[in-house]
Amino acid sequence: MEVLDYDAVILGSGLGGLTTAIHASLKGKKKIRIAVVTKLHAMRSHSVSAEGGISGVLYPDATNDTVELHAYDTVKGSDFLADQDAVEILANSAADEIRFYDHIGVSWNRTDDGRIQQRPFGGMTIPRTAFAADKTGFFMMRALYDEVVGLGNVDIFHEHFATSILMDGGKFEGLTAINLANRQFKLFRAKACVIATGGCSRVYGFTTTAHSSTGDGIALAYRAGLPLKDMEFVQFHPTALVPSGILITEAARGEGGYLRNNRGERFMEKYAKSKMELAPRDIVSRAIVTEIREGRGYTHKESGMAYVHLDLTHLDARLLDERLPMIRELSIKSINVDPHDEPLPIRPAAHFTMGGIHVNTAGQIMAEDEGKPAAGMWAVGECGCVSVHGSNRLGSNSLSQCSVWGRLAGNAIPDYIASAGSGSDGAATVSRAEKEEARINALLESSGNVNPYELQGSLQKTMDDLVYVYRKTDELLKARQAVMELKKQYGGIYVTDKGNEFNSNLRDALEIGNLIDLAGVIVEGAIQRKESRGAHAMVEYPKRDDENYLKHTIARRKGDEMVLSYIPVTITKWKPVERVY
Amino acid sequence: MRRSWLSMSAVYTPMLGVPVLLYLYMIFNLLHFGTAADAVLYLAMAGLAVFSVVSFIDVFVDRHRPPHFLNLQEDSRTREHHADIDTTVDENVRIVEVKIKRFNPQSKKLEENSYKVRVDRFHSVLDTILDIKRKQDPTIAMRYSCRMGICGSCGMVVNGKPVLACETNVFKNMEEGSITVAPMQGHPLLKDLVTDFDDFFSRHASIAPNIHRKDEVEKYEAKKEYIQTKEELSKFLPFSYCIMCGLCVDACPVVNINPMFIGPQALSQVQRYHADSRDQLGVKRLDMVDKLTHVWDCEFAGACSEACPKGVDPALSIQLLKTEIVKRNFGRE
Repeated sequence: MEVLDYDAVILGSGLGGLTTAIHASLKGKKKIRIAVVTKLHAMRSHSVSAEGGISGVLYPDATNDTVELHAYDTVKGSDFLADQDAVEILANSAADEIRFYDHIGVSWNRTDDGRIQQRPFGGMTIPRTAFAADKTGFFMMRALYDEVVGLGNVDIFHEHFATSILMDGGKFEGLTAINLANRQFKLFRAKACVIATGGCSRVYGFTTTAHSSTGDGIALAYRAGLPLKDMEFVQFHPTALVPSGILITEAARGEGGYLRNNRGERFMEKYAKSKMELAPRDIVSRAIVTEIREGRGYTHKESGMAYVHLDLTHLDARLLDERLPMIRELSIKSINVDPHDEPLPIRPAAHFTMGGIHVNTAGQIMAEDEGKPAAGMWAVGECGCVSVHGSNRLGSNSLSQCSVWGRLAGNAIPDYIASAGSGSDGAATVSRAEKEEARINALLESSGNVNPYELQGSLQKTMDDLVYVYRKTDELLKARQAVMELKKQYGGIYVTDKGNEFNSNLRDALEIGNLIDLAGVIVEGAIQRKESRGAHAMVEYPKRDDENYLKHTIARRKGDEMVLSYIPVTITKWKPVERVY
Repeated sequence: MRRSWLSMSAVYTPMLGVPVLLYLYMIFNLLHFGTAADAVLYLAMAGLAVFSVVSFIDVFVDRHRPPHFLNLQEDSRTREHHADIDTTVDENVRIVEVKIKRFNPQSKKLEENSYKVRVDRFHSVLDTILDIKRKQDPTIAMRYSCRMGICGSCGMVVNGKPVLACETNVFKNMEEGSITVAPMQGHPLLKDLVTDFDDFFSRHASIAPNIHRKDEVEKYEAKKEYIQTKEELSKFLPFSYCIMCGLCVDACPVVNINPMFIGPQALSQVQRYHADSRDQLGVKRLDMVDKLTHVWDCEFAGACSEACPKGVDPALSIQLLKTEIVKRNFGRE
């Protein structure tokens, strides 16, 4: 085992992780030592797949937009579950983040006078989504990676898979990871830790997310005894390509695309008369599933999946090439359909984890004791639940969230490091890490006979079938049973690959363990929330129930048990009202 | 780690002009021919000429052929894997033989394994290998993530062509019911289809790949956006599509025989930042690449641009840099 000492260790290299690294480095005058630990090559994190854009009130004078309006759109989109103080931070800071990306080289689409162009997005009353074609996340990632490379005090550990977070008395001690290149086990000791590992949409089989979106950081935090919040809220993106699940950005509708059922009707008229296709994602996803259930969808011959059409054929080819080039390329390459000539087959797919590690408005992870943050720990981006998205995120708010809380965490780290005494017992941390190493080695030598990929397959099928857009209590109970069964079977898995070089079989086995744990939390939270709010739509309880459920679910592991509790939602300016679009 | 030294000859290709000039000189001097020194010089010139012609063929004529100078052994046996698979087929589903040339880190050899697998008309090469990994052979190592051609993980060689596995459809690319997958060989091999990117990343990092401003405080405070016209945007936009997949470096015949050459990916990113109106590093970027190991080692084979899955055209970017350097050195700018 190799022991490495740093001032701060950042787990994950997406937008959240890299913005944290940059701001911590700049704020610390490039003097503190930072490690970025990532299971991929740092520039390949799932943030690259973000397509449509980033929200922010850039030009209030020209567009009559205000930060209050952005904040209210977000709160209303969240079905009033968002913490409003957090939403105000987001709306106030988002525009600065867009300008920051401009200064580090993102190739924003521009207006005729050279300013940053913005386009309409679901649930936003005014076009306030800045974009770089339909590869916004990719361009932001490349700019951030290129910045980090030039900083000098940030060491990137590519392809290191984290296996545990070590804490002592509510304080961060260290992080263990396996170097995938040679299976060397490493302990990163540091004063500060930022978890930025993204969401866990791969608990579903039909998902827009990368194979790597397995929620590792959320699972590690959960196992370390840290609380998770609102995990039952999973966003289903309305327009994922059938059969692969590849994301067709909401911008396709923002630029004028229509949704049509098998009669050719623009069915959104029935569900959201004023917003039509640009209603928030939970509403559009439910509309699509309802159309399909009522027999107005199509059936995909090869996969058996039902779908409706996303129609872009009336859009100008030049507009497609300037603003949506990637989805055109993807459609042609993956299903041989040019969206300019034919409508695309789409259906809702798991897309975003609204819940995550329970953090306060400063991005600090909350410890066991209510109201007190764990010392030296932050969670930013999709894996941290602030909560700005509540029960349903608006499109293009995720990139702002990653950037805003990346900056907040990054700016706080140098001060924290300066004030935190050493105090910890380094030798005790090492011996705990050695135990963790022994656990991993035992997994490699285990004599089980269960193929972990089979568990992954049945987990994903369970979630796809039973915990989808509409949920029913009896189906959720079935899902709970199935997940518990999978957890038991996981104890008997077998890792076939015993090699040291790039042992992805071992990595996958660990990821699948993370997915099973998180699926359990999602299902349990869903069973207990007996209402319909945002992305959580219960067939038996079709109404939002503010009296009993205007509160965040907190899930925590005690021993081997999951314990649920609830905390209130912060409401500053906007009292909950009925949500109509 | 890379290539045999024999083929370093290709480095001399740009010098083809030198022996030609010397021949002309010698023909003029034939009248005075007769000393031993002249004969030695003549023989040396002839040797250099043969060398140059061979390397010219290497670089420009044979570039589609798998590099014969590769210092890598291949095991001639094929290991066939048998699995119980449903063998019913129709026009949308077929049984395909997938031959995977796997690098064995112990024996340091490429070993071919063959698998039979059900594939439908939507399956990419990535989907297919993952299917094999999950159901038949969990030990296969490959790099992958987004499966939508934007993360740059899954560069490999399919039927001899450097491509992204997730963008390559099996039905459209199979030959007589089979498809052959091999790792990129322009990067050091790690295991199976996985290659080592450390060197590739450090080359990218060495060219100052970010926006440089004279006033760093103003840059990071970012109070106001920089005004950039659509025309200014179009100058660098194509070069900013680079996903760092490494396929251009794999395809480049020069960097593979001359490890000193920095390679097409890094140079394309020099042009990306140089052409950006927001960058203020100016001619320093040109100085950075005005070296034999940088732009002047590029022989404009164009293999990089042909291989690039995102249309970056690194070859063009390098020629643009050369043009600017020449213009500047001759005082035109």
